[in-house]
Amino acid sequence: MRVVLAAIAAAWFAAAGATGSIQPGFEDITAKAGVSSAHHNRTFENPYAHIMAGYTALGASASAADYDGDGFDDLFVTDSSVDGRNHLYHNNGNLTFTDVAAQAGIDSGNDRANASADSLWFDFDNDGRPDLLVVRFGQNELYRNLGGGRFENVTKAAGLERYLNAITAVAFDYDHDGFVDLFVGAYFQPVNLFNPQTPRFFPESFETANNGGGVLAFHNNGNGTFTDVTEKIGLKTSGWTLDLGHADANNDGWDDLYVACDFGTDRFFVNNGNGTFSDITEKAIGIDTKKGMNVDWGDFDNDGLLDIYVTNITDDYMKEGNFLWKNNGNLTFTDVSRETNTYDTGWGWGAKFFDYDNDGWLDLYVTNGWVSAGSESYVPDVFEMIIKPGIDLADARNWPPMGTKSLSGYQKKRLFHNERGQAFTDQAPKYGVDSIRDGRGIAIADFDNDGRLDMFVANANGQPFLYHNTMPGGGHWAEFALRGVKSNALGVGAQVRVTAGGGTQLRFVDGGNGFAGQSSMRLHVGLGGAATIDKVEVRWPSGVKQTLTGVPVDRLTKIVEDSSR
Amino acid sequence: MNQRGRAIVAAAIMVVAQAVGAQTAGRAFRPVIATMAFPADDADLGRLEAALTSAPDDLKAGNDYRMAVIQAKAYDRAIAFFQKLVTANPAAANAHLNYGFAYVDKIPDAGAITQVILANNALGEFTKSIEIKPSWIGLYTRGNSYLFWPRIFNRTHLGIDDLNEALKMQKAVPKQPYHVRVYIALGDGYWKIDDLTAAANTWREGLAQFPGNAQLQARLSRQGDDLKTLIEAGYDPAKRVDTSLADLWTRR
Repeated sequence: MRVVLAAIAAAWFAAAGATGSIQPGFEDITAKAGVSSAHHNRTFENPYAHIMAGYTALGASASAADYDGDGFDDLFVTDSSVDGRNHLYHNNGNLTFTDVAAQAGIDSGNDRANASADSLWFDFDNDGRPDLLVVRFGQNELYRNLGGGRFENVTKAAGLERYLNAITAVAFDYDHDGFVDLFVGAYFQPVNLFNPQTPRFFPESFETANNGGGVLAFHNNGNGTFTDVTEKIGLKTSGWTLDLGHADANNDGWDDLYVACDFGTDRFFVNNGNGTFSDITEKAIGIDTKKGMNVDWGDFDNDGLLDIYVTNITDDYMKEGNFLWKNNGNLTFTDVSRETNTYDTGWGWGAKFFDYDNDGWLDLYVTNGWVSAGSESYVPDVFEMIIKPGIDLADARNWPPMGTKSLSGYQKKRLFHNERGQAFTDQAPKYGVDSIRDGRGIAIADFDNDGRLDMFVANANGQPFLYHNTMPGGGHWAEFALRGVKSNALGVGAQVRVTAGGGTQLRFVDGGNGFAGQSSMRLHVGLGGAATIDKVEVRWPSGVKQTLTGVPVDRLTKIVEDSSR
Repeated sequence: MNQRGRAIVAAAIMVVAQAVGAQTAGRAFRPVIATMAFPADDADLGRLEAALTSAPDDLKAGNDYRMAVIQAKAYDRAIAFFQKLVTANPAAANAHLNYGFAYVDKIPDAGAITQVILANNALGEFTKSIEIKPSWIGLYTRGNSYLFWPRIFNRTHLGIDDLNEALKMQKAVPKQPYHVRVYIALGDGYWKIDDLTAAANTWREGLAQFPGNAQLQARLSRQGDDLKTLIEAGYDPAKRVDTSLADLWTRR
């Protein structure tokens, strides 16, 4: 099986390599859309500044949601410099955007004690309006969406005022009480990064570090407050969390959790269905020593089971390889990244499944690159440190300065086209989306509601990209916006199975999966040549199941949970 | 054969990483420990350690022990044992060589960063072995090891130097089948520093000495990315390097 897949992958890869000039498919409209404000890395003024700036070259994130309910997905984009302003790009409906963050009161995500790292739209109060969590090195901020383009900082009232050094967050209803709960991944321990009182706050190991910030779980009490239930529900960890991804791995109706960790083992937690999780890492994915960066779930092979894509580091000096975890259906996964040609994407960061050409198979866009600076490489410096006998890696003073050196920089992004679930071919050069900027987060959304998914890519210390999908000759499609009644209002966790053209595709509403990027909560299905949909089956987090027939193609359909069942 | 020649040939018998094809090494390896419970258990390893303790510079004993260790996946035990052995016997050049191999044997089971540390430790032991007793095997081993390091570490030229020294040594003694490995590795070294002419000349010289050698023919028949793929596949740290030496003294 593996040999056959590898041969197929190699053949397709060779064929793809034969293509030449850029073809129509994605148009860079960043500037004319008005979303070209650059991200700036944080710089530090402390004894560890020589390494901190390079080490925290993060924080370029983008999150898509229709915050004002006007039918067009908007964008929240973070900066990280001390005086950098975050952006709320309101979608004007004509592929232009207006930054309204200042008017909305949510632009001030950075100061001397906090640096924005990520953001998350989630409707914690079930009013149907996405609220906003700004994830920060420092303290997170929760903004309640009041409607009319106004937001209110409710961090303290919600019980979320806490020093965390967070880098990622997802929200889903783990206990099916009808409210989405909040899961935060923290990179560093809760030390003050801007004025550390100890030099020992760096990872103690490159492969088994357990002195990171771990995962924190906040139960939504349904009254505007949250309670830290991390230990109670079995999620206490101490890894260097970089990303979280939730989905129902075994189709039992309860969403499970994948934790991607830098400097050590990723973790897989199965939801026991009783308000607790169990760590089944060893059985599910085995113990790895890699640098997990990204978690995205999607059924790439259309077998009705959600698979997982995790990026790691692959370069001349370190060949970890990514994971494409094929779901075996029994809470175990098999890595098929080599066979599918998704193994090597350089120093990987955010990656997202989406069907860019509406052929009915989930494709994959992958960002990469750590620090693109001068011509000298930082690699020999860091390895010289590593091989020193007895080196205390946790001590930031032992880390060599990066200066203007590069580390896995200038790497080309990958747009993997899914070849019917068997392999992927890189089409990024073909469509001109192979930028060498230091990519971080990806937000996928159909910003112009034309049925073709667009991409916003946030780059560290650089301008982002908004790629408008202009793919010619695409297939039919369908999009769905879900509204929960018994379930949480935005339907996070709901699974939708669309049967058309002799096949069934599975999509689900995710609550912010993917490193530094949140895609639209609307579900998109490419239908290829199928001009009709046989049926749409929805399984809500509440357990309610609905089957719809006569659903039209080539348009957005709103589905409201049937609360009578 | 004079004493120096015998020493070189004897040392050459204990060839290194990649000196033997995996298939043939496997065949030769089995009889060596055929009397042993398989895989080796704690008692087996203990007996082999006792034998090696009484003859620390015995290459065959060291090799037999490491092969048993690989079967038992007792890499850390072997590293700890060899560390004690060379501490007690600092002049035992072959103990240092096997100690270096013990680090190499653990590499496929280690994470990417630990692999670097292990490889670096192995180089340190190979160097000590050469410093104690310069040998073809020591130079070939260390030279070949340098080629596993990515170019960015700037170690390839050190490997080329070692392999040229090994080539000089082997030209001074009767030709052995395993001498072909130096031609292959040295050519690979030149290829890694983009001296394609020197690479091809080395491989051609090797083919003249060892007509029909498939690996040399493969290198000389490929160019560009095809050649790159072929060579790089041989220096993949994720793949287990065959460090068994038994095949060579079986041939003898």
